[in-house]
Amino acid sequence: MERGLLAYILIPLLTAIIIPCAARNKPRLADILANVTLLAGLANLAWLLFTPANIANSFADIPGDGFSLLMVFAVYMVALAVVFFSAFFAGPMPNRQAYYCLIMTSVAAMCGVVTTSDFFTLYIYIEVLAVTSFALITTDDTSAGLEGAIKYFLLTFPASVFIIIGLSLLLLSLGSFSFESVKIFLSSGMSGGAVLFAMGLILLGLLIKAGIVPFHTWTPDAYQGSFSPVSAYLAGIVTKVSGVYAIIRISMLMRFYEGRADALANTLMFLGMLSIVVGAVAALRQKELKRMLAFSSISQLGYIVLAAGLGTPLAVIAAIFHLFNHATFKTVLFLNSASLEYAAGTSDMEKLGGMEHAMPWTSWTSVVALLSTAGIPPLSGFWSKLLIIIALWAGGAKVYAMLALLFSIVTLAYFMVMQKKVFFGKKSEAAEAAKEVSAPMLAPVVLLSAVIVAIGLLFPYFYTYLVETIAKRMIL
Amino acid sequence: MDQTPSNLNLIFALKTAVAAPILGAFLIPFAKKISVTARNTLAVALGLVTFIAAAWLLPSAMNGMVTNYSLSFPLGFDFVLSADMLSVFMAVISSFVSSIILIYSVDYISHYENQTEYYTMVVLFLGSMMGLVFSANMLWMYVFWELTAFASWRLVGFFRSDRDVLKANKTFLVTVFGALCMLAGILLVYFDKGSMDMRLLRGENISMLAASLILIGILAKSATLPFSTWLPDAGVAPSTVTALLHAAVLVKIGVYAYARIFGVTFVAAPEFSQAVLWIAGASAIVSAAAALVEKDIKRIIAYSTVSQIAFIFLGLASGSRVAFMGGLLYILMHSIAKGGLFLCAGIIEQKTHNKDITKMGGLFKTMPVTGISFALCSLSVMGIPPFGGFFSKFLVFKGATQNGSLGVVLMFLAGAIMTLLYLTRMFYLVFLGAEKPDSPYEGSTVMVASVFALALIGLSLGALIYYPSYYVDLLINQLGVNLQ
Repeated sequence: MERGLLAYILIPLLTAIIIPCAARNKPRLADILANVTLLAGLANLAWLLFTPANIANSFADIPGDGFSLLMVFAVYMVALAVVFFSAFFAGPMPNRQAYYCLIMTSVAAMCGVVTTSDFFTLYIYIEVLAVTSFALITTDDTSAGLEGAIKYFLLTFPASVFIIIGLSLLLLSLGSFSFESVKIFLSSGMSGGAVLFAMGLILLGLLIKAGIVPFHTWTPDAYQGSFSPVSAYLAGIVTKVSGVYAIIRISMLMRFYEGRADALANTLMFLGMLSIVVGAVAALRQKELKRMLAFSSISQLGYIVLAAGLGTPLAVIAAIFHLFNHATFKTVLFLNSASLEYAAGTSDMEKLGGMEHAMPWTSWTSVVALLSTAGIPPLSGFWSKLLIIIALWAGGAKVYAMLALLFSIVTLAYFMVMQKKVFFGKKSEAAEAAKEVSAPMLAPVVLLSAVIVAIGLLFPYFYTYLVETIAKRMIL
Repeated sequence: MDQTPSNLNLIFALKTAVAAPILGAFLIPFAKKISVTARNTLAVALGLVTFIAAAWLLPSAMNGMVTNYSLSFPLGFDFVLSADMLSVFMAVISSFVSSIILIYSVDYISHYENQTEYYTMVVLFLGSMMGLVFSANMLWMYVFWELTAFASWRLVGFFRSDRDVLKANKTFLVTVFGALCMLAGILLVYFDKGSMDMRLLRGENISMLAASLILIGILAKSATLPFSTWLPDAGVAPSTVTALLHAAVLVKIGVYAYARIFGVTFVAAPEFSQAVLWIAGASAIVSAAAALVEKDIKRIIAYSTVSQIAFIFLGLASGSRVAFMGGLLYILMHSIAKGGLFLCAGIIEQKTHNKDITKMGGLFKTMPVTGISFALCSLSVMGIPPFGGFFSKFLVFKGATQNGSLGVVLMFLAGAIMTLLYLTRMFYLVFLGAEKPDSPYEGSTVMVASVFALALIGLSLGALIYYPSYYVDLLINQLGVNLQ
């Protein structure tokens, strides 16, 4: 456990405890407490990351490693966006105290996941996260919400079993759970079938939790069924932290096994490519906005897993970069879908249309986010995708590189269909009555869109951060 | 590079030419908050500033000075702007025609919705075009390439019926598909040579695969067979947009990229150039034939563009000095003349509320100035002396016959004759023939003046052909690679 970042776990947890007590009779206080906690955390993190002195000495004194810090930043950023949005979301609001309490607990759990340095603690936090996610999906107590929650539970339960069996094997064969000991073992050159098998089981569990093809069937239902801001939260950050983050960690360790874990790495890459294809093709056929976004999410996660599977330093930082970018643009798109549902009463793309006149801000922030997802320069998604492709090519996976490049066009195609059906085109009945959502609800998406543009334009700084703190310190 | 004051001025002009329109575009929505006039003035001013900045670089470029500005990016992604003779030539032409289009727009577009978006996108488009032209790093060329695709997506989808949006999406997807192939080609070069800086790559050989992938991108953007279908469809946009996309800027990007990558940077295999010639020849004939039977005035001009672009490819790919010179002059002449034709079509469409040429006739009596401008621009496109178009077409043919195969030249000859036919047919049906009842009168002064100016410039470029051809000759001496 990285002590320097402990506060980011404990403070949200404290807030989670305070909220039900303090805000019992004043539900609005719950909004304020959650927002203030996250905002303070984010400001603190931004200070850590962006002080000029820090940039000048190439991030020498940040606490923990660069990957953890970046992920904590992403967690706080997305959580703040969602919580701020929820505070003004006047839709059918579940029990506020419970809702914020769950969100703060899951923020703490996510920070735990990304700052831990051994597999057992990782597993514990992932389970905490799974329980809170399950509860969050059910906050929408319609049948769809329950269906999503049950599907989530039934599919991620076996995942936990795989992980725990993997952990026991690891303990039996290695006697330790820590990343460091696994790394030392793998780089020692001893043959270790049991350790490798344990890692394979853990990876399998994580792939299910991340919703990678062929284990993806729970994600569209869970995202579609849950309360709209919750789907933004789940898609934007939760499934990424509970699955993909650890996959990247493990592939960083696998590098030290010097090519003897090829089968595992190749499987990861294959599943990544499969997710890109299946997610993108399925997204083309969706009629419901949130389902389409869910499939798009699967496809984008495919890029991350594909790069992580390759495991070269450039591929790993490209995967991390794409993971961060995905958190920004997918949150924007899901929050916009929530706004649409709020303003027009539906997220069925067939019934929407011509919303741009009623909701220009929502429309334009969607354009920014979708172009970034499709990898159109100079937005952030372009750079991360470009890095992934260059890394794949340089690592010898030329076919994957070309396929990954060409599948950007399918990404663009399904988003074009979406933008046409929802925002452009003739005014629908829904658009006649709809109004743009209030400024506070727009603020998170506008700010996140600004982040997308800014990272795209300030790519060199971001890249330096990744190289200095991740590639140089942790991989080489 | 020495830091003399004049040099600093040039770097400033270079930065302005790219940054002013790109950053300025995002100020346009704010100018709308002040007033409509402020917004329109700002848009036109940005166009003019860009033109002046580009023209500022002309004299030094002619003296053989290359102005560079670079920002360092990791992994060899350096952002490099470089103003040599070719890029300045292209920048001046496109910023000039874009400025005229912006001036014309002030009247033309004033009846429609989404005007703010229109101006923002036109200026952004101009800016990304400038960025593309001046970029010396192929990656950044690609970045700006996609930005132009984005702007044209919004512009083609200006009217928001389902059909318009569908065609806008088609335009975007076709050009982005091409661009992704091009990116793959660029990356191949990058892996092969370790750099994407075209200044360092001059005179290198390029592999057939990389060249073909880049070519797909170029053909998709310049709407050459087999990717030509998006361009006539994009005619659903306002006429100013089609003028911008089809005549002045967008399709020329492909041609420029060809000149830049295969003309003055890499040495491509001879078979590659041969293949380009055959593709271009087929494109010239097929699209000219389509123009002959089409009835929609804007689609005819669009098909004509596809066909004329093929002539530019003939000039650039023939591998002869004379033809290359003709190809570059063709870019200039065609931008002016085709821009004029589209803007005339805009006036006609707006006044008659009709795009079908079989339902028009006798407009010459009521719209004489538009008619004359239309005729002058058509003559230049046909290549009748003493118009500018004649010289460029002549040089292209002269060079191509020296070097090329007979089959290709015959194809293009057929294409040139068909150009004559379809333009005469269109002029006859629209302006001559039986007068229809309630024929409309001339468009607004600004609009008519814009097209008349373009027509006169086309004529005077023919009379003063010495200057542009001198410039192009110098350019080839300085930059030409592998030309005979």
